[in-house]
Amino acid sequence: MTTFRKFTAGAAVLTLAAALSACSSSSSGGGDDTSGSSSSASGGGTLSVWCWDPNFNIYAMQAAEKIYQQDHPDFSLDITEVSWDDLQTNLTTLAQSNQLDQLPDIFLMQNNAYQKNVVNYPDLFSDYTDSGVDFSQFPDSVVAYSTVDGVNYGLPFDNGTAIQAVRTDILADAGYTVDDFTDITWDQFITLGEDVLAKTGQPMLTGQAGSTDLIMMMLQSAGASLFDDAGNPTITDNDALNAAIDVYTRLVKSGVLVEVNSWDEYINTIVNSNTAGVINGVWISASIQSAPDQSGLWAVTNLPKLDGVAGATNYSANGGSSWAISSNADYALAADFLNSTFAGSTELYDTILPASGALANWIPAGQSAVYAEPQEFYGGQAIYALVVDFATKVPSNNTGVYYYEARDAVGVAITAILNGTDPSAALEEAQQTVEFAMGG
Amino acid sequence: MTRRLRRLPGYLFLGFAALASVFPLYYMAVSATNTSQDVLASRLIPGSNLMANFESLVTQQPLWSSVWHSTVIAVSTTVLAVVITSIAGYGFEVYHTRAKDRLMGFLLLAVMIPFAATMIPLFRLFADLGMVNSPLAVILPAISTPFLILLFRQASRSFPREIIEAARLDGLKELAIFARIYLPTMRPTFAAAAVITFMTAWNNFLWPKVILISNEYQTLPILLSNIRAGYVTDYGMLMLAVLIASLPAMVIFLILQRSFAEGITGAIK
Repeated sequence: MTTFRKFTAGAAVLTLAAALSACSSSSSGGGDDTSGSSSSASGGGTLSVWCWDPNFNIYAMQAAEKIYQQDHPDFSLDITEVSWDDLQTNLTTLAQSNQLDQLPDIFLMQNNAYQKNVVNYPDLFSDYTDSGVDFSQFPDSVVAYSTVDGVNYGLPFDNGTAIQAVRTDILADAGYTVDDFTDITWDQFITLGEDVLAKTGQPMLTGQAGSTDLIMMMLQSAGASLFDDAGNPTITDNDALNAAIDVYTRLVKSGVLVEVNSWDEYINTIVNSNTAGVINGVWISASIQSAPDQSGLWAVTNLPKLDGVAGATNYSANGGSSWAISSNADYALAADFLNSTFAGSTELYDTILPASGALANWIPAGQSAVYAEPQEFYGGQAIYALVVDFATKVPSNNTGVYYYEARDAVGVAITAILNGTDPSAALEEAQQTVEFAMGG
Repeated sequence: MTRRLRRLPGYLFLGFAALASVFPLYYMAVSATNTSQDVLASRLIPGSNLMANFESLVTQQPLWSSVWHSTVIAVSTTVLAVVITSIAGYGFEVYHTRAKDRLMGFLLLAVMIPFAATMIPLFRLFADLGMVNSPLAVILPAISTPFLILLFRQASRSFPREIIEAARLDGLKELAIFARIYLPTMRPTFAAAAVITFMTAWNNFLWPKVILISNEYQTLPILLSNIRAGYVTDYGMLMLAVLIASLPAMVIFLILQRSFAEGITGAIK
């Protein structure tokens, strides 16, 4: 009884205090008019930014702020940490409720989400036509993600170039080196992988069940995608997709690729030495390096290529992100800031690479000495220069407005195929799912 | 002896069920003391990384301000919601007419509409009121829910009318009857409503995320979401943050546990 009374009394006092502080804070919050556009009147100006990783893109933005401040001492950034999923929710809400004045000046967007957002919510973006950014200094395949009808909507930042990272110690136990896995085809990879598995008991790859990351990388390595140039889904009657699914099925059935249930388990297989290799965007390197006891035991090379598919290469990409300037931005300031840092400062990329592993898409940065430094974790290989070189060789493809829908449908189809469903029937169903999502 | 033996399978089953429900809590607490790599390797014994995890958490994330914002929002929501819905529930039952019953039925229909459907209109409403980024915009939509009104209305049904009549004869005003007779008697119902509202408000993610666009008033669930956002997740730090986020709800539940159980089952002393 007394506990209850004390509790209610305490709660009442707290509420009063809380309501008071909430009120006072809301009035100050309302007064400060959130984001960007009211800024540059003072000359220097503040830009508001939404991005999501304190150790990666937020860190890069802060470094860019310092560099821009050298010539613009009054300049500052107001960075809000918001995860990608939540950022997408915010964008959708603001676009649908037509509250565009709440947008920040600059926001980061996953490359794969660009087509969908620009086509569905064009009001969110300013285009880069008058920004002065020289897009020829970025790899074509990366610029293509954020280009709609020939107009650029994103400045490429985070490099999603795909790498094959292998454990040299496990390969050595099976009598191989990283060179045996360089410039090969998937058929050769499976043969080698079966031998490594037989001799060491380790799979060459792991992957999240139902995830289509590897399939999508195989497709892009041949310049293919799940859509034709007109944006229609091409899940059935797609040679590259058929070849990729065939390879994937053989990888899983032979045990060369082990499927796990979640992303956390996937990372676990890497950091706890349950796989002899990884194929993913170069950003996976940050997770690989989170196991310090494996320093010196990894090496990086290119991907296997699809056999018998026109245009197949050993290079691909997965993920990556680009900076968008919003329609609510102080455009001149935002464009000048991005152009003089992410599209014009070797110093910036030299600062952020060692500290955060943020690898440039801006080609001139790759020629800097910092990129050519040997990496102890990768047995002295200069992996960053290597990956920047890979990036220039990645074929462009058409992401498609309904990229995520198509990818999910193909993921379902692959699970069905692995469980014995006829591939053509499963892909036909995936095609219909995407056509339904597209309203056709 | 045989009776005990006969009960053994039951006890074994219950023991297993208890273990299964406590294990995630244990795993969360132990993981908060381990390094990220150990958490991924499913280490089940406490480690020595608790302080390091704590240090990364407070240096990388605005922990204390998030705890404060969550507390302000959850406590204000709870107190306001309990006051408003208890009066509403009491009114619907004690002064009920056919029209009010119909209105109650209409309110219950609102429970069927998923939040995702009302989110955009709600956002427009608060944006037009100039309340984007205001904690009040998080609190206001949660202070009156049909479910709580229903809870109080059903509980009021078992409240003896004779007491109300007697109090009226003794000259007590209607509000005084509510505050001095109804409220102390219905303590378990208030406790149940408070626990439910507090937990919902404390764990609320989607709406605060949408309306609190800048991180000025970031709450704990948003902080948890941000920790997982990067390419590399520090699982030790994440588990510590989850542990911290779970503590208040556990404490409140333990304090009000008995009343909560009574309130849910509708008992009156």
